[in-house]
Amino acid sequence: MRDTAIPAAGDGIYFDGRVSVRRRVRVALTVSGLEFEDTDGRLLGQWAYSEIQSLNAPANVLRLGKRNNARLERLEIADDALAAAIDARALQIDRSGGLQKRQRIAVIGWSVLATFSLLLLAWIGVPAAAARLTPYVPVALERKLGNAVDAQVRETLDTHRLGVGFECGTSNTGAQSALARMQQPLERAAALGTPLTLTVVRRPESNAFALPGGHIYVFEGLIDKSATPDELAGVLAHEIGHVAHRDGTRAVLQQAGLSFLLGMILGDFIGGGAVVIAARTVLQSSYSREVETAADVYGVALMQKAGGDGRALGTILNKIGGATEPGMKILRDHPETAARIAAINRLASAGKAAAFLGAEDWASLRAICKG
Amino acid sequence: MTMSSLDTTGRATHFLGSKRDYWRLLSRGALLLIVTLGLYRFWLMTDIRRFLWCHTEIDGETLEYCGTPLELLLGFLVALAVLIPIYGSFFLAALDLGSIGQWSGLIGFVGLGFLGQYAIYRARRYRLSRTIYRGLRFSQAGSAWLYALRALAWWVVTALTLGLAYPFQVASLERYKMRNTYYGNQPGRFAGDGWRLFFRGLPLWLLTMGPIAAAISALVGAVDWDGVVNALGQGSDNVMARVEGASPGFGAAIAFSLLMLAVAIGMASLLYPVFQSMVLRWWCSGLRFGELSARSKLRIRDVYRAYMRFLWYALLFTALLGAVSLVLGIAVAALSVPDGAELAGTAIALAGYVVAALGYSTIYRATVLLSLWQLGVDALQLSGVEMLDKVEAGTRTGSSLSEGLADALNVGGY
Repeated sequence: MRDTAIPAAGDGIYFDGRVSVRRRVRVALTVSGLEFEDTDGRLLGQWAYSEIQSLNAPANVLRLGKRNNARLERLEIADDALAAAIDARALQIDRSGGLQKRQRIAVIGWSVLATFSLLLLAWIGVPAAAARLTPYVPVALERKLGNAVDAQVRETLDTHRLGVGFECGTSNTGAQSALARMQQPLERAAALGTPLTLTVVRRPESNAFALPGGHIYVFEGLIDKSATPDELAGVLAHEIGHVAHRDGTRAVLQQAGLSFLLGMILGDFIGGGAVVIAARTVLQSSYSREVETAADVYGVALMQKAGGDGRALGTILNKIGGATEPGMKILRDHPETAARIAAINRLASAGKAAAFLGAEDWASLRAICKG
Repeated sequence: MTMSSLDTTGRATHFLGSKRDYWRLLSRGALLLIVTLGLYRFWLMTDIRRFLWCHTEIDGETLEYCGTPLELLLGFLVALAVLIPIYGSFFLAALDLGSIGQWSGLIGFVGLGFLGQYAIYRARRYRLSRTIYRGLRFSQAGSAWLYALRALAWWVVTALTLGLAYPFQVASLERYKMRNTYYGNQPGRFAGDGWRLFFRGLPLWLLTMGPIAAAISALVGAVDWDGVVNALGQGSDNVMARVEGASPGFGAAIAFSLLMLAVAIGMASLLYPVFQSMVLRWWCSGLRFGELSARSKLRIRDVYRAYMRFLWYALLFTALLGAVSLVLGIAVAALSVPDGAELAGTAIALAGYVVAALGYSTIYRATVLLSLWQLGVDALQLSGVEMLDKVEAGTRTGSSLSEGLADALNVGGY
């Protein structure tokens, strides 16, 4: 053994795991393991090569411990030649880091796969699960949800303009009954099973939206833009489509699912919560494009069922679409307006029906926010 | 052993790690974080700790970190199992309670703050129990709930006193942490005095708060608020003229306040390194384990140097990032399909954000955070080191669950 270049013995430092005292030891390598004794020649330990492991230490020190040892015995070897000799004999010891590297590559490979699977889940799984779950959300819960969202919506939309209320026509019975006369045929034709709550609010934007549980908000700006009662009714029919499809509830479920998936599982090592929000916005708007198309289809069918002009939705979309604020298309909730209008015109039969509302009613409805 | 009994004071501690190795570790980790969307963080965190621990030499022996990434992952999964029902029931409660639901934001904020403090204490316990020195483990006793209550109460006091109570808060919380900290069977304690830090920090507080106080007094003193409110209430046309008429000097007072606010923000960012080194030096000097006591000689200018390095690298990185995004932007603009260009633009913006955030945080870790660790360790002087030969193993086994909750709540430290 002596004639080989590999040393069979050397110095080390030993901690027995009971007391913190530092002991100089002489380490000898045998066929099956290493033995070490203190300066007085007392044998302190015999460790088999198969049971030792190398532990976290700076690069110039080999720190050894015994596997599954309740006592934290430590043997430290700063003698590089001796450390190399131990490394050569004990299979588990891996100073070059090759073993660790292989394990690490496996970890990275699996993490990348897991990442892909999570992204697929976010892209396909979450909307699918939300769509499946939505029909099982009880109507009572949906209404509660709607009320909670409603309070928030009012809080954010109400500009507290001095002197005038947020809701239009609260004391204007003529306008209210005109609105009801527009709502009733649509609601009857839709046969939703849950009552609609239609509210006109003082906002200049040409917009309307539906909340879970049948709240529909129509903005003053939209009524101003509508040339005929059918155009306004077309937008209403589109929003009723959202209610019928329970899109609001589904959106809440999707939002919760995505927040959970992106925000919690993927974590936030860099404190970049904004990534999560941005990714969520992009994903959410890609879902909502399909949702809008489906509501268009429903709206056209509903208008025709209720005896209105199915194309009117397309006409008003054309007007609003021209005025939509500039912004990235992918973040805009409504798909390309031109494509939507074309699709609506394909669906709607050309025959011109009678106006949805009498001229007198239409006039008083248009003045609903003016009083 | 014979040597150590002669030389009992001024035993130094050293940090042995090289900056270059740490850079390599962090930048590789950042790349892997991107491709794994952050799942790699458990491995990176473990690597970071192994690096910092094993290069921290105290009286000739380095620390050993024995935690594993899988422990972190498991702890995180357990924390999710705890948090999901909490989040879920919170959501449902907010729906059911109506008017209380409006307070749910505040309740949630306080609740999560409480849980965050709990998690901080548990995470500290995990890290200590995975720290081995001279064959003995560190450990932490005490109740994380009690700690969280204490911490929350102190945060309220500190907020109410506009930060003046902060030194006493840190001192109190550190006392609780350290008297529950054990090296083997040797309990630690914290000897730092809140008043000491208070008087050191008071000038910094005055320099930052002074301009804010000036701004507030200008607004309160020079402005006739009744007149302003009246003027605002009369509609939206020509508001400024009416306000100025109702309360002469309104515009000047606003301009002065904004200026003072800017001064306060400038002061705060300029003085922050001073504050940080002050607290670190005070904290290091308060650490005790039996007869072992520490004293820190940390110099403020070294901390400033670390911040200067951070700014320099951040500047370089910003220039690089700007150049790359310019090239990509031109390439995208050259795309003929408008829809494709917008999609690509969004994707590039998102990727740019991720790269920028990760890049800055990596630079911060490699400069400021590493330097604080290194300077803190190098500036430490120990006395009473002979006790280090006599400590016996403790009986506590340490927590099996890692700091998952802290990770899930984003309150993890090193």
